[in-house]
Amino acid sequence: MNNNKSKYALLNASALALVGTMLTPGATWAMDGNELIKEKCLACHTQTGNPEQPYSRISEQRKTPEGWQMTLQRMEHLHGLQATAEEKQVLIKYLSDTQGLAPSETADYRYVLEQKPNIVEDADPAYAEMCGRCHSNARFGLQRRTEGEWKELVATHMAVHPTLELHALSRDRRWYDIALNETAPKLAMDYAFDDTAWAQWEKAAKPSLTGSWSVAGFMPEKGEYSAVLTAAQTSKDNYSVTMVGHYADGSKLSGTGSAKVFSGFEWRAGLTLDGVRVRQVMAASEDGATLTGRMYQSAHDEMGGELKAINGSAIVTLSPAAIKQGEQTQITIKGGYLEGTVKLGKGVQVMKVLSRDADRVVVLAKASASAAVGMRDVTVGSTKAQAQLAVYDKVAAVQVSPMQGLARIGGNGGKIPKVKSTFRAMAFATGADGKLGTDDDLNLGYMPASWSLKPQNEVAKEDKDLEFAGTINSQGIFTPGDTGLNPKRRMSANNVGMLTVVATVNEAGKAIEGEADLLVAVPIYIKRAIQ
Amino acid sequence: MKLTQKIKAAALMGIAGSVALISGCAMSPSADLNGMKGGGHEYLLTVTRPNQLHVIDTETNKVIRSCDVPGIFGQGTVEPSPDGRIAYVGTNKWEDVVGFDITNCDIVFSAKQSYSNVTVKSFVSLAVSRDGKELYTVQNPTRKLNDRYEVMQPQLAVYDTSAGLNAKPLRTFPVDRQITKIMAMDSGEVILAGNDVQAINPENGDVRVLTLLQNWNRGDTWTQPDAFAMHTLGEQADEFILPYFTIKWNGDPGEMEKAEFWWGMSRVDLKTGEVEAGEILPFEFIVFNFITDPTDSNILYGAFNTLSKHDISEKKTLAVHNMEHTYYNLNMTQNRTIYVGGTSSDISIHDPDTLEKIGSIKLPGDQSTAAMRIAFLK
Repeated sequence: MNNNKSKYALLNASALALVGTMLTPGATWAMDGNELIKEKCLACHTQTGNPEQPYSRISEQRKTPEGWQMTLQRMEHLHGLQATAEEKQVLIKYLSDTQGLAPSETADYRYVLEQKPNIVEDADPAYAEMCGRCHSNARFGLQRRTEGEWKELVATHMAVHPTLELHALSRDRRWYDIALNETAPKLAMDYAFDDTAWAQWEKAAKPSLTGSWSVAGFMPEKGEYSAVLTAAQTSKDNYSVTMVGHYADGSKLSGTGSAKVFSGFEWRAGLTLDGVRVRQVMAASEDGATLTGRMYQSAHDEMGGELKAINGSAIVTLSPAAIKQGEQTQITIKGGYLEGTVKLGKGVQVMKVLSRDADRVVVLAKASASAAVGMRDVTVGSTKAQAQLAVYDKVAAVQVSPMQGLARIGGNGGKIPKVKSTFRAMAFATGADGKLGTDDDLNLGYMPASWSLKPQNEVAKEDKDLEFAGTINSQGIFTPGDTGLNPKRRMSANNVGMLTVVATVNEAGKAIEGEADLLVAVPIYIKRAIQ
Repeated sequence: MKLTQKIKAAALMGIAGSVALISGCAMSPSADLNGMKGGGHEYLLTVTRPNQLHVIDTETNKVIRSCDVPGIFGQGTVEPSPDGRIAYVGTNKWEDVVGFDITNCDIVFSAKQSYSNVTVKSFVSLAVSRDGKELYTVQNPTRKLNDRYEVMQPQLAVYDTSAGLNAKPLRTFPVDRQITKIMAMDSGEVILAGNDVQAINPENGDVRVLTLLQNWNRGDTWTQPDAFAMHTLGEQADEFILPYFTIKWNGDPGEMEKAEFWWGMSRVDLKTGEVEAGEILPFEFIVFNFITDPTDSNILYGAFNTLSKHDISEKKTLAVHNMEHTYYNLNMTQNRTIYVGGTSSDISIHDPDTLEKIGSIKLPGDQSTAAMRIAFLK
């Protein structure tokens, strides 16, 4: 048992270490990727003689940088590949640049690259049981292979995971026959190696990501923030990065690091932000005007949030993004180098500009009692953003995000830490028609709420999940219980549970509640770059 | 079913009687047996991590011997020889078979199945012929080529149990994929639990169907049966037993409100080859393994989060006992003492009538998925 524990920990650590190697700054690029493939891979792989697909197996696959990283990791663990961190960087970069995925090919599965927790996938039934019972849909959805290669992948599964034919949802069918003769051909159709999206993207001119970016985002514990991100190219596709700005409470945000761009649009950055190592996983738009994705703590990837950057001076978002009729409130306009007069739209008056920084403008705003309910465009000087501020009459509904949360027990002296879950309350007003659930409902953005927990069902109540599974704080951050057997629980079960998270927003003395499901699950022992 | 039971009981008494006559001093400690009792005395065999075979006297419920098993723990598969003297253990991540003399831990048989660039796994499948002369495994080979793997045809491998410490298969015959537990019958055939329940003749490889599972062709009214064959069981009643789970759709497929949830069973009498198959109980809770009461083939016991007792002639659950933790496995002596084990490091002992806990055996390591088999030591 101890052996297994260390193995899991080792795999976990190596996965993280490799993520690190992708971002090691100051790497030299003297090494040629193609030459390195010949040197490192042809000990086992062979040259096919076909210039279109020169190397056996390797040349019939396309993947994300994380996908190629996992391939190299498997080659190290199972097949004796010996490569330095720098050599692996070169291989990952070369392979994802020449055999990567086009932006449109990754669009449906960004969440897994971003390490975004709490995703409930909607799987094609043909894959749900054959692949999705162990993997995320993104695991195969972010790969492109020839049919022969998808079939080779089936053979790899049979050899490396020989008991998979006997699992639940395998043993009730001829798993190997189905995988080989039905699933692999379908994968080859749905996730084809030859695709015009990649052919076109490979040829397209790639945007330069150098320059200043207007940034807004959210980090659990810290809250919403605005910043200016500056990217200075150090070598092709490599940037030094600085990020300077403010959190919503006015405290300063500051960090530096480096970024590497794979496949012409996959931004991967590592920064030390206010003393904490963080990673940014973003996709550049094809025109290079925006970067969107997620930033998270390197050591706790669940502790992160959305991140959006717009090249140059721009209004990215407002916080809060709503103002109530007849009320006066402080509003932060997040955006870089915003100069000039602030206009918040009809019926909303800027009473006073409270502060101006490179990354934001803070104003005191007042909505007149008769201001029409609806969205307002916002301008600062010549910079304009559409439908940024909602004027509303009252909060009619609260929706908790995520609707289905996942936390994992951990800690307790073990090697695997607890995985927390962060909830936020999004408010809605009815819009002009006074009815909820219609097209004119107004999204008022995230609002402060008070947080509580209750058992999700009768079994959770009976098993006292509320007592054991964990606690939620005033910021909506749920901390799960310790891992391991708990003699106080029925059958000495561990502290897993099923809870309901309740967010309460006060609206004129009336409590408006929203609820979300929370599953407190077991630790994840083997962590992959793409789960 | 009752008639079969009477014949079975008589046969068992016959064996006991003849053993007593031959040995003359049955049930008393013997020097040949290193102080252990012969005459069909029952020893419970199990494996724990890191990798040890334990021999437990069911009279005292004490571990009397622990043998170090070479290799990394696999599943903890154990197959006792018909004379109860040898315990064949599956080890080294499902690849090797090692035979121990349970009276002294001597290794008397060893077979490494993997060779060259071929990795061979046997999932639970380990059986010994009724005369003890041959050992059978189902081999699942894969070949590692320079840059890819080749999935090879599974096969039944037949070993000579007297082949010693570097045993090689005498014969091999192709078999289906997904075969797990196997058991030998008096007919000489070996039962294969896979997509269907089959019997293979280990002399010539002829395969016949004993009862259908995946190919039962019931149409859309029933879901494909899910048969979980992870533990070999049945020696206490001289039978092969394989439960399955299925759903009967009384409405449209997927319409849970109208559906019936059933436990079913494939059971084979190892002496006569007689097969029983069909639904036995409404599904009310998960059971990992069922065993048959050696004195009444209508009575089944099941273990997982509960220990339960069922009368399949009336498709009824008679009693349910909540366990202190999850257990995977169970077995029973001829005097009907129930042993529930697996997962953790204790075996819980229970009364067959009340199901109350009457004792416990502490083991030095986790049983995990290990077998719990009864050796009837001659």
